[in-house]
Amino acid sequence: MLFADLFFMFAFLPLCFLFYFMFKSIKVKNCVLIIFSMIFYASGEPLKIFMFIFSIAINYYLGLWMDKARGTKICKFALWLALIYNIGMLGVFKYTDFMINNINGIFSTSIPLLKIALPLGISFYTFQILSYIIDVYWEKVPVQKSFHKLLLYISLFPQLVAGPIVRYQTIAEEIDDRKTTLNDAFEGFVRLIIGLSKKVLLANNLNVLVQNCFGENISQASITATWVGVIAYSMQVYFDFSGYSDMAIGIGRIFGFHFDENFRHPFMCRSISEFWQRWHISLGTFFRDYLLYIPIFGKRRAILSLFLVWFTTGLWHGASWNYVIWGLYFGVFIFIETKIGKKNLKKVPTVLMHIYNKLVILIGFGIFKFENMSNLGNFFKNLVGANSNELINNITKDAISSHIYIFIIALIACFPIATYLKKRFENSNPFSNSIAVVCVTVFAILLLMIDTTVLVKTFSSNNPFLYWNF
Amino acid sequence: MADKIIERLNEVFQNVFDDEDITVDRDTTADDIEDWDSLEHIRLIAAVEREFGVKFTMKEVSSMKNVGEMIDIIAERG
Repeated sequence: MLFADLFFMFAFLPLCFLFYFMFKSIKVKNCVLIIFSMIFYASGEPLKIFMFIFSIAINYYLGLWMDKARGTKICKFALWLALIYNIGMLGVFKYTDFMINNINGIFSTSIPLLKIALPLGISFYTFQILSYIIDVYWEKVPVQKSFHKLLLYISLFPQLVAGPIVRYQTIAEEIDDRKTTLNDAFEGFVRLIIGLSKKVLLANNLNVLVQNCFGENISQASITATWVGVIAYSMQVYFDFSGYSDMAIGIGRIFGFHFDENFRHPFMCRSISEFWQRWHISLGTFFRDYLLYIPIFGKRRAILSLFLVWFTTGLWHGASWNYVIWGLYFGVFIFIETKIGKKNLKKVPTVLMHIYNKLVILIGFGIFKFENMSNLGNFFKNLVGANSNELINNITKDAISSHIYIFIIALIACFPIATYLKKRFENSNPFSNSIAVVCVTVFAILLLMIDTTVLVKTFSSNNPFLYWNF
Repeated sequence: MADKIIERLNEVFQNVFDDEDITVDRDTTADDIEDWDSLEHIRLIAAVEREFGVKFTMKEVSSMKNVGEMIDIIAERG
């Protein structure tokens, strides 16, 4: 089941809200959420749902065991078991064929690929489980004694399959005690509709532009098409993924959960380090808290830990070398930026900083897009015209002219306009505040109507979220 | 004892962040020092460990909230 889907928006979600708000008791509300989360997961994974529940059960018992054996070696042993189990499962399901491919390549063997299907959301829920287990070990949070509450935390359908990676401590208290205020419901619904629109109106249309620009074979694309294509692709990934996060945060909010933000207008960044403090924040903070400070590198730990984090960030995104290169590529720029120092970077004119970081980011998205190394090479050559391509051709002109409005709207939507307006009206008098609420409501209803029309028209076409694959 | 630790810490901070104007107290957090991000935190921890001959655990490194907590750990181990 997808979020940007008529069935989800107009059957699953309203039914879930109906049952959820029908009952007063938080226990029953939690049960409703668990049942709907299970239906949500089972609709994508009718068999692997048992493995999913089994994994949560194993971690539940290991958590209890750690807590019981506090201060002894057994506690550490239980932690190691949990780490090996969770990372092992992720490794087997996500990276087996990648390893076999590499072994075949290095030793000229021909071990057949296993083609294991990736369980839905495993990259995300594994990290949520790990954060729970490590935080219990570190005594940052009390162990969860009730299985169904841990099940609720891991399986909560808004964030189950494509993030954000919600920390247990973020919602631990809200599992037992939460309320949906009128403000929560209002902001939650608006957020949900904005997220849906980012996906349906912007990302899906940008996807068409990207395909038209890059064409069947990237080496045939004109120089202009390559540039416009990669700009459109960067925005597509942003609206696709942040749209999903908006929907997750919005739905969570309607249930009274307050998840942390996952994106803060990343393209507004002044440096690459700042870009990553604004993009997929829940992943960055996960690696910062659980991997960056791992004390295995001795004296050279500052630099080696940095590259370990970026190697892992790349690999987490996909079992392919282009993702590893993509991760390390950002690691190199962040390393250079730390060597230059924030103070010195501040002295560089803002225009230059923006040219620098946008170039690095765009080329980064190119590396992200082209899994095949020869396509990636052609992409680089196209950017500088080394493929003896035309500067612009008729296909490029058609592609751009048919999507120019979407392209401009998307560019504008990268700026924090809503945040600015919200700040402006926050401290205004009650009259203009209520006008703002009416305007936002009308805007949201209009957007929902447009989204629905588009979804009905494209009913049969497939439009999965990109991060669904991770 | 704590005063002495804070004096020595101050010097470490000044060296790591290359800024002679830094003065830290128990309530100083990463928000107060502009350059103190996650990567500088590793360098800082390494420098503090060298200066005081202590070892921080990974839990301590990732969950220290302010300089006060750092001082307490040093005082306890040193």
